[in-house]
Amino acid sequence: MTIGNQIKSFARKPHNVILAVLAVALTFLTLFPLLSLARDTFIVHPSEIMTVKGSQAGDLTAFHWKKVFFDGETSMNLFYRPFWNTVQVSLWSCLVSIVLGGSVAWLVARSDLRWKSFISVVFIFPYIMPSWTLAMAWLNFFRNRLIGGAPGLFTALTGIATPNWFAYGFFPIVMVQGLHYAPFAYILIGGILRNMDANLEEAAVILKAGRLKILSRITLPIIMPAVLSTFLLVFSSCMSAFAVPAFLGTPVRFQVLTTQLYRTLNGLNPGYGYIMALVMIVLGVAILAVNQAIIGKRKSYTTVTGKSSNLSQARLKGLRTPVSLFLIVLVSLVAILPLITFAVESFIMAPGDYSFKNLTLAFWIGPGSADIGSGEPGILLNKYIYLGLWNSIRLSVVVAFIAGTIGALAGYAVVRTRGTRLSALVNNLAFFPYLMPSMAFGAIYLSMFAKRNLFIPSLYGSFALLVLVGVVKYLPFASRAGTNAMLQLSNEIEEAGLILGIPWWKRMTRIIFPIQKASFLSGYLLPFISCMRELALFVLLIVPANRVLTTMLFQYNEKGWTQYANAINLLIVLIVLLFNTAINKATGASIDKGIGG
Amino acid sequence: MPEIILKNVTKRFGKFTAVDKLDLTIKDGDFVTLLGPSGCGKTTTLRMIAGLESPTEGEILIDGKTVFSSISGVDISPDKRDVGFLFQNYALWPHMTVEQNISFGLENLKWDKARIRSRVSELLTMLKIDQFGKRYPSELSGGQQQRVAIARTLATGPKVLFMDEPLSNLDAKLRTEMRAELKRLHAETHSTFVYVTHDQLEAMTLSTRTCLMKAGVLQQYAPPLEVYHSPSNLFVADFVGSPTMNFIEGLGKNVNLDEIKIAVDGLDLIFTPVSGSITLRDDQEIVLGIRPEYIRIGDGGKAKATVYSTLPSGMETIVKIQAGGQALTSVVFGAIDYLVDAKVNFDIIGDACIIFDKETGMNLALGQLAVV
Repeated sequence: MTIGNQIKSFARKPHNVILAVLAVALTFLTLFPLLSLARDTFIVHPSEIMTVKGSQAGDLTAFHWKKVFFDGETSMNLFYRPFWNTVQVSLWSCLVSIVLGGSVAWLVARSDLRWKSFISVVFIFPYIMPSWTLAMAWLNFFRNRLIGGAPGLFTALTGIATPNWFAYGFFPIVMVQGLHYAPFAYILIGGILRNMDANLEEAAVILKAGRLKILSRITLPIIMPAVLSTFLLVFSSCMSAFAVPAFLGTPVRFQVLTTQLYRTLNGLNPGYGYIMALVMIVLGVAILAVNQAIIGKRKSYTTVTGKSSNLSQARLKGLRTPVSLFLIVLVSLVAILPLITFAVESFIMAPGDYSFKNLTLAFWIGPGSADIGSGEPGILLNKYIYLGLWNSIRLSVVVAFIAGTIGALAGYAVVRTRGTRLSALVNNLAFFPYLMPSMAFGAIYLSMFAKRNLFIPSLYGSFALLVLVGVVKYLPFASRAGTNAMLQLSNEIEEAGLILGIPWWKRMTRIIFPIQKASFLSGYLLPFISCMRELALFVLLIVPANRVLTTMLFQYNEKGWTQYANAINLLIVLIVLLFNTAINKATGASIDKGIGG
Repeated sequence: MPEIILKNVTKRFGKFTAVDKLDLTIKDGDFVTLLGPSGCGKTTTLRMIAGLESPTEGEILIDGKTVFSSISGVDISPDKRDVGFLFQNYALWPHMTVEQNISFGLENLKWDKARIRSRVSELLTMLKIDQFGKRYPSELSGGQQQRVAIARTLATGPKVLFMDEPLSNLDAKLRTEMRAELKRLHAETHSTFVYVTHDQLEAMTLSTRTCLMKAGVLQQYAPPLEVYHSPSNLFVADFVGSPTMNFIEGLGKNVNLDEIKIAVDGLDLIFTPVSGSITLRDDQEIVLGIRPEYIRIGDGGKAKATVYSTLPSGMETIVKIQAGGQALTSVVFGAIDYLVDAKVNFDIIGDACIIFDKETGMNLALGQLAVV
């Protein structure tokens, strides 16, 4: 075959064309920005002309690297301390979430716990809600007079002033992140516990092993890969979390990498920030690589099959009711109480005073007066809130539509050409954004698209930039969903259509998509919900004209207008829960199904 | 010596009754198969005897000791019943090597290290898996995993061995091989085997007694050849034997002494019972059961038929014929190939043709059949 004919035959197959287009586009949107980011760590930015003596904007310099890594106390404050904080916070959060999520998973899957369905549904809530939900609830409850405001509900009710370590910084961040990611552990470990062949334990019972011995020698080793997986995923999620440390750490100047990144990029030294972004990306890639290696090696563990229908359930006996009650209280505290505190906080006039006469609707439907929040009207009358809501929904819908569609096509093309080098390349490129912390990803796009680049005009401050960054960042969810959907579908299904002469477009829309509807739809749902509750990704790229709800929440909170912030937060949480439930009911897809990458 | 007795054992899952009032005695040294279609309660029965499942009602005794009783509330846990259990999917622990899998039970018995080592190597040799001691289960083939599972079960030397469809995950060739091994194992270990299967051939070839179940109810408990030749009802007759028994519906009535005339669409037959006389109502609806080997195709046959199709397999040939309105199956020893639609004659031979009552499905009598 001549080269011309080879190309023609390659291009005649739709999946090849999709693959080729995606390979080029994704290289430009993921690898190229990375290079651009790396370059940005070596040049003088306009705001840095004063700090880097005798230089001009655009000059090459090693100044940033020196300052961040090798400048004694400066590096300590700038990088090493936040880095160490990040590592510690992430490790402890992992511990909390694995112990809590793993125990609940075992109780639900393997014991005669009461009210299982309620517990298992509500336990997932914290993960569906935005990550800062619990952080704000924590502040509502436990804040003290340190930051000048009024103390929280706890002090109001009990009269006990909360110490700083309890209200802000390391401890609450660990608790909040631990609780937020416990559903991760619950889903991953619970999945293994449910699918693990009960015969494996029964075989040990027959051979006279005691209960403890079975747990330590059989059950735990078998779920270990899931535990490790959870550990790595929670660690990388905690590492890249911005909102929680921003809410809980900033009042006591407890800095982690992400908050440091935000400060430097928004301040006068973006060069530092780009270096930190690079560090986070390297860490993210390393963690996911370790995870892949583990999953790959131990695959046989999770695919054990058998008659798992007859799972023997441990009898909790006397502990049954107490443990069940404890869990009901816990999930209510974690999943439902926060919503109540948002409502309460949004209805009180003077913060810290929870008496009846202090209740007000001003922050919801008040016309706004000069003495509160610079005359901002209540959020239901505030046109900027509606603009933010409209922007949020518009952005999420557009992002979900594009990411979901590209993801489905990518899944199709990757699975059809499985085994080829191009297929592996596109698969990895589509997954690559998953490894990048949101904030770092935002920083990359800021650095790359703030100015004219190749044929693309400057996108800074445009809606298109938000869409672009959202689509690329959430593509991994969508392409995973698409790939899984296609893997479950045998080739012959499509080939049967091909033989009958049905064109490609019709095969996709009339055969493939309808069969795997739920899987493909989750490829649309995940980006949508993630986008609705995203803060870190957009916070660097937002300008007043295209504010979204989450960034408005962040700004109101920074200004100390807690009532507005709580009202907006309640709005976001309700929207997210509403959409997730509605879509889940309609299609069976849900945000928590996307865990585990 | 262990004898297993089940008295009135019932197991309900919610409203569904998996096993219904089962009475069964398994004698010491028996090789009993629990046979039946899927969902008939055979696995549940086995798991109840082993203690992995608790009956809703009834009593179970092993070796004279009550291990379960719904009345006195006794429910001894499986580890105290001194039994071995071989699982359908082997249930090998994926994170342990072959040796660790086998020695686990011995460690629980607090054997010392040297003794465990020699026992493990003895078993490895016995089951011909010496070279795999250090491997993990996922690195073994299905047949090898099966052997490891057997070694693990045998290690502690249980007197009673329960097996839940242990061969169903193997390919046909290995299955035949392992059948022979299991039968030898039964003889060598002098243990009692209770074996669950849905494969009637396995039950026929392996067991000393077969317990056939349907929808939780015991159908017949007898040596396999008895089940084959004198099935207690239509279900058993249909389930056991391959190719399956021929069933012909017709009307029967007593003529002469001890002779029954049977009117079938297109054929007139006379049945002479060998198992004592029977009395039918006039024109009682009956079903005739004739094993394929009793339909002999040959020139001397009185009845005429047309060949529908021929399936030679070398050692034997299955011939489907059409006689009157009846489709019959015959098995002929050796390889013959008839043309489609060829005319043949046939006879019904043997004295183990069966009359079933159509209404109840019960076996009424065995006897000889003659074509008139």
